[in-house]
Amino acid sequence: MRSLFTHRVRVALVASVTAVGLAACSNPQGVGGDDGKAKEDAKVPPRVELVIPFAEGGGTDTWARFLAPYLEKYVEGSPTFSPKNVLGGESITGSNQFVTSGGTDGAQVLVTSGTTYFQALLGRPEVEFDFAKMKPLMLNGTGGVIYASKSSGIKTVEDLQDPPKPLVYGGISATGLDLSLLQAFDVLGVDIDATFGFEGRGPARLALERGEINIDYQTTSAYLTQVEPMVEAGTAVPLMSFGVIEDGEIVRDPNVPDLPTVEEVHEQLNGSPPEGEAYDAYRAFLVPGFVYQKGLWANEGTPDSVVQAYRDAVAAISDDPEFKKSSAEVLGGYPLYSGEKAQDDLIEAFEIKPEVRQYTLDLLKTKYETTIEGS
Amino acid sequence: MLDAATSALAAFLDPAMLLFLMAGILAGLVVGIIPGLGGTGAVAILLPFVFVLEPEQALALIIGAVAVVHTSDTISSVLIGIPGSASATVLMLDGHEMAKQGQAARALAIAFLSSMAGGLLGAIGLTLSIPIARPLVLLFGSPELFMLTVLGISLTALLSSGNMLKGLLAGAFGLLLGQVGAAPAAAEYRYTFGSLYLTEGLDLVAVALGIFGIAEVVSLVARKTSVASGSGIGTGWGDGVRDFFTHWRHVLRGALVGIWAGVLPGLGATAGTWMAYGQARATARGKDRKKFGKGDPRGIVAPESANNSVEAGDLIPTLLFGIPGGAPAALLLGALLVFGIEPGPRIITEDLDIVYTIVWSFAIASVVGAGLCFLLSVPLAKLSYVRFPVLAAGLIVIMFTAGYQESQQISVLQVMLLLGAVGWLMKISHIPRAPFLIGFVLSIPLERYYYLTANLYTFGEWAVRPGVLVMAGVLVLPVALNLVKRLRARTDADVPEPSDDDQDLLEAEPPRSWPLALTAVFLVLFVAAFVVAQGYSTNARLVPSLVTACGALLASAVLVLGVRDLRRGERWQTDDEQKAWRVELRWVLLAFAWLAGFVVGVFIVGALIAAALYVPLFLWRVAQLRWPAIAIYTVAVLAVLLLLQEFAGIVLPLGYLTPRGLM
Repeated sequence: MRSLFTHRVRVALVASVTAVGLAACSNPQGVGGDDGKAKEDAKVPPRVELVIPFAEGGGTDTWARFLAPYLEKYVEGSPTFSPKNVLGGESITGSNQFVTSGGTDGAQVLVTSGTTYFQALLGRPEVEFDFAKMKPLMLNGTGGVIYASKSSGIKTVEDLQDPPKPLVYGGISATGLDLSLLQAFDVLGVDIDATFGFEGRGPARLALERGEINIDYQTTSAYLTQVEPMVEAGTAVPLMSFGVIEDGEIVRDPNVPDLPTVEEVHEQLNGSPPEGEAYDAYRAFLVPGFVYQKGLWANEGTPDSVVQAYRDAVAAISDDPEFKKSSAEVLGGYPLYSGEKAQDDLIEAFEIKPEVRQYTLDLLKTKYETTIEGS
Repeated sequence: MLDAATSALAAFLDPAMLLFLMAGILAGLVVGIIPGLGGTGAVAILLPFVFVLEPEQALALIIGAVAVVHTSDTISSVLIGIPGSASATVLMLDGHEMAKQGQAARALAIAFLSSMAGGLLGAIGLTLSIPIARPLVLLFGSPELFMLTVLGISLTALLSSGNMLKGLLAGAFGLLLGQVGAAPAAAEYRYTFGSLYLTEGLDLVAVALGIFGIAEVVSLVARKTSVASGSGIGTGWGDGVRDFFTHWRHVLRGALVGIWAGVLPGLGATAGTWMAYGQARATARGKDRKKFGKGDPRGIVAPESANNSVEAGDLIPTLLFGIPGGAPAALLLGALLVFGIEPGPRIITEDLDIVYTIVWSFAIASVVGAGLCFLLSVPLAKLSYVRFPVLAAGLIVIMFTAGYQESQQISVLQVMLLLGAVGWLMKISHIPRAPFLIGFVLSIPLERYYYLTANLYTFGEWAVRPGVLVMAGVLVLPVALNLVKRLRARTDADVPEPSDDDQDLLEAEPPRSWPLALTAVFLVLFVAAFVVAQGYSTNARLVPSLVTACGALLASAVLVLGVRDLRRGERWQTDDEQKAWRVELRWVLLAFAWLAGFVVGVFIVGALIAAALYVPLFLWRVAQLRWPAIAIYTVAVLAVLLLLQEFAGIVLPLGYLTPRGLM
């Protein structure tokens, strides 16, 4: 071997082995700079990073980028906002990074979606963030519409009680937003046969058009543009919507005022409004998953002066004529809530009762063969 | 329809419109040229502008970039053998081979013309198919998509003709690596070993750069020569143009494969491009086929035509169904929404002018992009005559930085280094790497559509669908023919011919024990992965179990055959050969150490400072440049990094000791 490796090469080899072996559980963050802590009455820093734990061009990313110019206009001190996408782990990677190194001076704010919330609610062991303690700045909801294909044989919601054919649903992942639909049918006591593995709600909708599945849900904006033409052509039958929240009550979605909510359908089928474990679990996931789906959050310990600057901007943004015009299309016409208004609902949602979580985990396990590691 | 088309064209008389289209084209070209940055990189550059422009201008900007990224990503693949983007890996076969023979100009001429034609055909295809695309797409259900992925994976056998077992082994390894991350049909992560970084799966760019790019760098740094022999860029431009017209049928076929791969959701540009290459090679006859992989113009025409038309095909599901096929399409979708244009069935009736703006932008950009590439490549072609160590200093920095972008997790640097070593070992063991990449990109789609098919249909239902039967025929016939041929060939000669790819004669052959050892490592890996897979839930277990079982069988077979050959008294290396190998090995190890040195530097002080220290050191010790040149080179590399950070949204990794105040 002596002729093969000179001293220099040997040193270099040791170095390369070390390099490959270097453990890096998370990204190194450098040293020095300010430590991200802020004084009591601090102002919003002049440059703010929007940490987006989702891919460029996706729904959440579009939401944040659409909102950014309005934030610049109306948040006190006119900070500039630069988006930063940190992908991975169903948005856990980016959110973890935010709570561990995002600081409390408001130089970074986190953008979230229903998927992020569900990982926390289900108690995934990787999750390091706690939305019950973090501070919601502003939130924006979305709605969802459940519909069936003509080939399912379902003509009205009454047919759900005794479906002419097995109901086949196509989902992405049982632990993502599909969960709300699974829970809705659990509340209604209707059995569905769910297949997971679709790439997104779009491909699932195509599968319904092809007749591979016969029941589906879409967000309201996708429903209005993609499904309504099918309804007009008679190939799809709208059934119900997830509704919106008003003073703690779930009411009909103003975007689809003709469609009953899941609660109304339950009453229609069973003669009484839903209650009990199944409904508690449904509500626990629905509120963060849909009603306050997209959100802007600051870390626990961020001074009130910073938090308030964002919350105060909500009213001004909502009144901006330009925003009013384009938000109907981009945000689906759902109002922008200030974190103040939503805080109680959210704290209630994230302080999820152990038995409610357990009920959901059991549902996933028994009906959909899904277990969550370490929980 | 004609009205909308002409009025959309008239809009391009507006100088502002043309300006934004040109800006998009330039952004796309630059991002394409930089190794490892592709469509996603172009998106990052354009994002900040999209939301503040007029709708038509924003569309022109995005489409301009999307249409040309795959024209210019050819340049680095052909000239220096470093893939410009993941789908440009296919150019490493015939394109780069041609450049090595001193015909870089010819290869580039073929590539640019094919790209342009692919883009134009894509734009035409987009226009023609809009009225009929919807029923066609709906015709393609999960069973058909499943069969298509199987067909794609069968390419692994084709691309390793002559050494089928080794090709299949590489394919199985690709499939296994593709399994890392979230399982499609179960809420479960596989082979992540508790690392949150791995939950997203290994990203394609890092894998392609590692297996092809780094493996190439280490073997070339050692040699201290340039990529191509001879001097001047060659006078092949005219030959290239003639090649293009001679093989016009392959231009058409490549474009059709590309459009179709773009239209179907879930396949992706890389798989589509390789499929186009595969069909060109599969339909070549007899001896003719042997030329593939050795600088055959058809091996450039078909994939280049396809990788531009993929992007056009991709726009069909984006516009008609609101389903984006990739990052650029997703950005386009977001932009359309912001402007109040709703992609969906109504777009044909309500926003036809927008559709034609997109079509025209695509067509114009394809032509302008190809023209600019011709101009650019004259100076750039000289790169293949620069001593490689000189290029390597900058390349190492750019490659690792580019590989970092997708996941932005520093662990990706270690993964790239490791895959670089694997790629080099595969190269010296004559295990082709193309099947590996195909297996990697199709791994999850295969599993996804298998489960959807199996859950939504009974076997009797899906197996007899016409589309499935046709594809099964396409699949089985050549395999059967090939088997017959191989069986016959076997009786004639016992020694299998070396594989077509990666068969460029190595400077020094390794001792015979090396390939055997690598195969043994693969065997151990497959067995271990099989054992690990048994711990997963039912829906997450099946595919990894099958893949690892097949992989273990293949590895065993390769091992047994190898040992048999060894026993049969295959001649051992002569002293000279052994000496040559030792020299080679020493150089390669040294090159690896240099690469590792940069990675260590990034871990400690971050990419920017590491580059500032590393580039001059490398140029001084390895490339042995003079100091003035070193200074200029270093400043240039740093300037490129800073420019990319400022204007292209490139993130430079921080290290443990990066002084943050300075950044």
